[in-house]
Amino acid sequence: MAKLTNLNAFDIISLSSGFDLSGLFVENDEKKEVQFTSTHTFSSITSKLGDIAQNLKLKVKKQGGLMKMEGTSGGRKGALAIDAEIFEFTPSFHLVELRKSSGDTLEFQKTLKQDVRPALKDIVWAWQGQPHQQS
Amino acid sequence: MGCGSSKRIKRVPGYEDPNVLAAETPFTVSEVEALYELFMKLSNSIIADGLIHKEEFQLALFRNKNQRNLFADRIFDLFDIKRNGVIEFGEFVRSLGVFHPNAPVADKIAFAFRLYDLKQTGFIMREELKEMVLALLHESDLVISEDAVETIVDKTFSEADTKGDGRIDPEEWKAFVSKYPSLIKIMTLPYLKDISLAFPSFVVRTEIEDSELCVDGNGD
Repeated sequence: MAKLTNLNAFDIISLSSGFDLSGLFVENDEKKEVQFTSTHTFSSITSKLGDIAQNLKLKVKKQGGLMKMEGTSGGRKGALAIDAEIFEFTPSFHLVELRKSSGDTLEFQKTLKQDVRPALKDIVWAWQGQPHQQS
Repeated sequence: MGCGSSKRIKRVPGYEDPNVLAAETPFTVSEVEALYELFMKLSNSIIADGLIHKEEFQLALFRNKNQRNLFADRIFDLFDIKRNGVIEFGEFVRSLGVFHPNAPVADKIAFAFRLYDLKQTGFIMREELKEMVLALLHESDLVISEDAVETIVDKTFSEADTKGDGRIDPEEWKAFVSKYPSLIKIMTLPYLKDISLAFPSFVVRTEIEDSELCVDGNGD
């Protein structure tokens, strides 16, 4: 999977939560995307995401710097599909964006809370909007 | 609640007629009215005066009224068109208009340039770019070496500053964005497309709103 290494300074700056105006419109649990930072390598992150997709029975498709995880069973608004995009600051510091690409937002948030977040615990440095937890 | 003629309605300062705002932004009249609902919620969250103060803006973005952030400050300052320290309704709608998916790309490019022009000199200076990168790293709790920061800033700056005069002007910025369209990704808010769907069931009535203000209840 090709990674987005061509992050220029403005791309880096645009990752700030200060530019994320979605909070004006929706509560945190209604958001369609979340970000987290990780001090792990690119392959470690993709491997972990692959495991999660497998556990959730999501089919994985890689498209450039994007990892698409697609469900097959229909929900209220069709099958849940999640996109994962990985941005490299340095080889050992990445930012990952998880976005709902189709399906129900509530289901997306529930899946994040119950399945994704616990599974990512070992590789997450900090979730967007939350300080880094010293473990 | 009958509102009668508009001459008798007491409006918040900075209120503008939804029809005027709809004509001058990508929003429809009913979308402007939905934005009014949102605006009333945000602007009365701490100080019930129908104006968005910095703390209320921070509360909305970060769920923490005391959270300081360089980039949120820039957004706030640009939304505060009159530069009177608060965001009024008209300013709110016009500024959000630039973030609408249908807004002209040229407007988004220009807004982003002003965002990054920290000292408002009309140019993005190298020191400003470095300051912003450092602010982002600090926000992410990431410490990387001075050298690494310099490398990132140098690489970007030299690519953008095609005239080589040590600063990025609007023309260079426009060309740079054409090359890297993701740079204005932050300038589009998909949530704005569904705004009138998102707010019909949203009812916030503060005491001030009930007794002093009058929202025109006649739909579109």
